[in-house]
Amino acid sequence: MIDITEGDFSIQELVEMARRPDAGAVVVFLGTVRDDGVQRLEVESFREAALLELERIREEAVSRFGLLSADLVHRVGSLSTGENMVLIAVSAPHREEAFKGCRYILEQLKKRVPVWKKEIGKEGSRWVGQ
Amino acid sequence: MRITVRAFASFREILGGDMDVELAEGATMHFLLSSLSLNNPRFKEEAFSSSGEPRDHLLLMLNRKRIDPVGGLQISLCEGDEVAVFPPASGG
Repeated sequence: MIDITEGDFSIQELVEMARRPDAGAVVVFLGTVRDDGVQRLEVESFREAALLELERIREEAVSRFGLLSADLVHRVGSLSTGENMVLIAVSAPHREEAFKGCRYILEQLKKRVPVWKKEIGKEGSRWVGQ
Repeated sequence: MRITVRAFASFREILGGDMDVELAEGATMHFLLSSLSLNNPRFKEEAFSSSGEPRDHLLLMLNRKRIDPVGGLQISLCEGDEVAVFPPASGG
């Protein structure tokens, strides 16, 4: 599953999707909204293009690291500190490939996928990374 | 011809959202961006340096495919094209 959604996601559901008899490792990355003195984050995406890019990244990760599965959900909309923002779940025969594959997906997501965060604070707001 | 412009994040705020633009046949990406700059000094300032070069944080997609912000400006647009304008990603 690759999805961009306003609602929260089920961590357990993605873990169960990753679980399979030939996998000895399931690695899960959960990204949450950090309290950097901000009240909330506004997360925005170019949904159609972001989904295409995420599919590309998934295919790259599967082929580079021999993953058995790779699933990702990214939330958009208004998120408060501590809330779930992104979940990546991958499975592989062994932990090494699973860790590397999960990390690859996360790093490529941050670089390539058209999703943006705006920090909303008491004294104003700013786009992250600009 | 009609071109759909989609703007995201800081560029959405500057341009006020998505819009359809009427351009002469064969107009280039550069012409489109110049047209947007003409009516919007803030966009001009954010998108181009004082010497007229596209700034590093101006990213472009044509029909959902990334194009080079320098070489891609000479691309001729076609009726119904979708051009997306946005800053570097910051998700995850």
